[in-house]
Amino acid sequence: MASLLEKKNAGVCAGHGDALPGLAGLTRDVRDGMIPAHIYNDPDVYALERDRVFGRSWVFLAHESEIPRPGDYVVRRIVDDSFIVVRDERGTARVLFNMCLHRGMQVCRAELGNASHFRCPYHGWTYRNDGALAGLPFHAEAYGGERGFARKGQALLPAPSVDSYRGLIFASLSPGMAPLRDYLGEFAFYLDFYAHQSPAGLEVRGPQRWRIKANWKIGAENFCGDSYHTPHTHASAVETGLFTAPKASKRKEGALYFAGHGGGTTYKLPPGTFEDGLRHVGYPGEMITAMRRAWSPAQQRLVGEDGFMVSAATIFPNLSLVHNWPQVSAGGLIRPFISLRQWQPVSECETEVLSWFAVDASAPGYYKEQSYKAYLLCFGSSGMLEQDDVENWVSITSMARGQMARRLRLNSRMGLAAGGEVISQRPRSFSGPGTAYVGYGEHNQRRWLSLWADCLDGTAQHQEGR
Amino acid sequence: MTSPAAGRAAPARPLPYTSERHLQAWQWLVEEAYLFDQQRYAEWLDWLDPGIRYVMPVRVTTARNAGFSSLPGMSHFDEDLYSLRLRVARFETEHAWTEDPPSRLRHFVTNVRVFATQREDEIAVQSYVLVFRSRGDVREAALLSAGRDDLLRRSGDGRLLLARRVIEADESVLRMQNLGIFL
Repeated sequence: MASLLEKKNAGVCAGHGDALPGLAGLTRDVRDGMIPAHIYNDPDVYALERDRVFGRSWVFLAHESEIPRPGDYVVRRIVDDSFIVVRDERGTARVLFNMCLHRGMQVCRAELGNASHFRCPYHGWTYRNDGALAGLPFHAEAYGGERGFARKGQALLPAPSVDSYRGLIFASLSPGMAPLRDYLGEFAFYLDFYAHQSPAGLEVRGPQRWRIKANWKIGAENFCGDSYHTPHTHASAVETGLFTAPKASKRKEGALYFAGHGGGTTYKLPPGTFEDGLRHVGYPGEMITAMRRAWSPAQQRLVGEDGFMVSAATIFPNLSLVHNWPQVSAGGLIRPFISLRQWQPVSECETEVLSWFAVDASAPGYYKEQSYKAYLLCFGSSGMLEQDDVENWVSITSMARGQMARRLRLNSRMGLAAGGEVISQRPRSFSGPGTAYVGYGEHNQRRWLSLWADCLDGTAQHQEGR
Repeated sequence: MTSPAAGRAAPARPLPYTSERHLQAWQWLVEEAYLFDQQRYAEWLDWLDPGIRYVMPVRVTTARNAGFSSLPGMSHFDEDLYSLRLRVARFETEHAWTEDPPSRLRHFVTNVRVFATQREDEIAVQSYVLVFRSRGDVREAALLSAGRDDLLRRSGDGRLLLARRVIEADESVLRMQNLGIFL
């Protein structure tokens, strides 16, 4: 198997296949829920991830609302590759590799802005905002005009694959990706609770960006299913009255779900109707009316009849979502917020976090401001829940560095009996797709890590030719 | 620093460094830094005007002619007294793990410039702050460099209270694991 793999991936990750002896055992352990601790700080594992996870998955880059007008752009990365995400003059969102065709200079050095053209600072090659080469200095004198260098058809390299869903723009370094909607699969059902509360869709602000000395996987796993950490890690948030919901009793009544390339956690709502549930978490009436129109009967049943409200989630590999409802004023006003967050790897032991505030574009103005306050209190660079989380993740990463971590397999089998059968209960009623369990369990983290293992050993379903 | 005493007609030149008001503001900032480094945040709350606005915009890299260098509509901090009290209350609980064990902190405050405003009871204060933060015995320490635009207002009992602070960080991507500190 191992030698077969090396041949299959020859040229894609030359040198790294050999650099990771024992890959078959590693992925077997991971799928078994016994995680070799060193994967959270191992340069060889990281080299493989960079090629086989980030080189072959759909990776989130930006939201359409960040580039509303022609010429608007943001610059984003997939690991080491910088892309200009720009709306061209015809209104199409483009994803252009940010490297000049001539000498490889970074064409756009701002993080965001508006431009009809991008001019390379080195020799002045100029590209239209759809990527096409518009001009180069001394074309006639230096190149003999079109005879020496034909401009026609020359353009900044587009990302090999680009696709979007509900305004979320993804790209892939692999040209042979299945459509994004297929990749998301049944997770799209859950994504709509965040990204499709009305036909207007989301508008996002941000991102706040900061670096943490933590492995990128830890945050992604945490958001896809770790409801078990909430009562303890975030005890201080409950104690101060910021939150009433994350109490242990509330958290263990929630359901975990995994569907397609994503999974997440939910809270159990108090008994009541669809309207009651959404009112409980702080949505005003007009937004509830919009949600009733935007969501399918099954989506409405998940809230109204089954009584589950989405909270944290992760789309494989590194985009997470969060929906929570803290108290935003001394008077006890509860308002929900939505955040998108990306765990952008910098190295095996460092991650850049990008954290956006997101809100339904048609929400009333007062709601948007209160929801923004709710976000700032809880998540992002200064968010109180985020502070608790990051402290843990940095410590884990630091512990995973040494030789002893190579002898330790972390038990991530919560919800399974020793023989492998599932102990966790299914929800009595659950209208969403995928697999759902009630209460604590590490089912989602295992599923997420299995997708990761599929990428590492080349068995991933969404990848070209597999 | 983009706007000394933003929104107010401040004179272009600061008050002399020997003036009473300059010295008062300077002492205020140094004493505040002491409270921060000792993490005596509950005492710091008493130094805040009830109408405080405490903001730290997200800086971004933009072209020189772009006309902006902060993200619209998004900040690292955008606080009022309620949210600042909540943040402080959290540190006072026994379960704020992020600061237990506590960071070793040092706020270096320099380049203080004080401006008279149109109101007798207010002064505008600019300062630079460099925060050194060390956690544990393994990790590298973190630095955060910022400028601050403050508005200090004299309260009924004659004390200076912080009515507004705009913190202008010098990095677009912060190299600090969180803002579990104040600036």
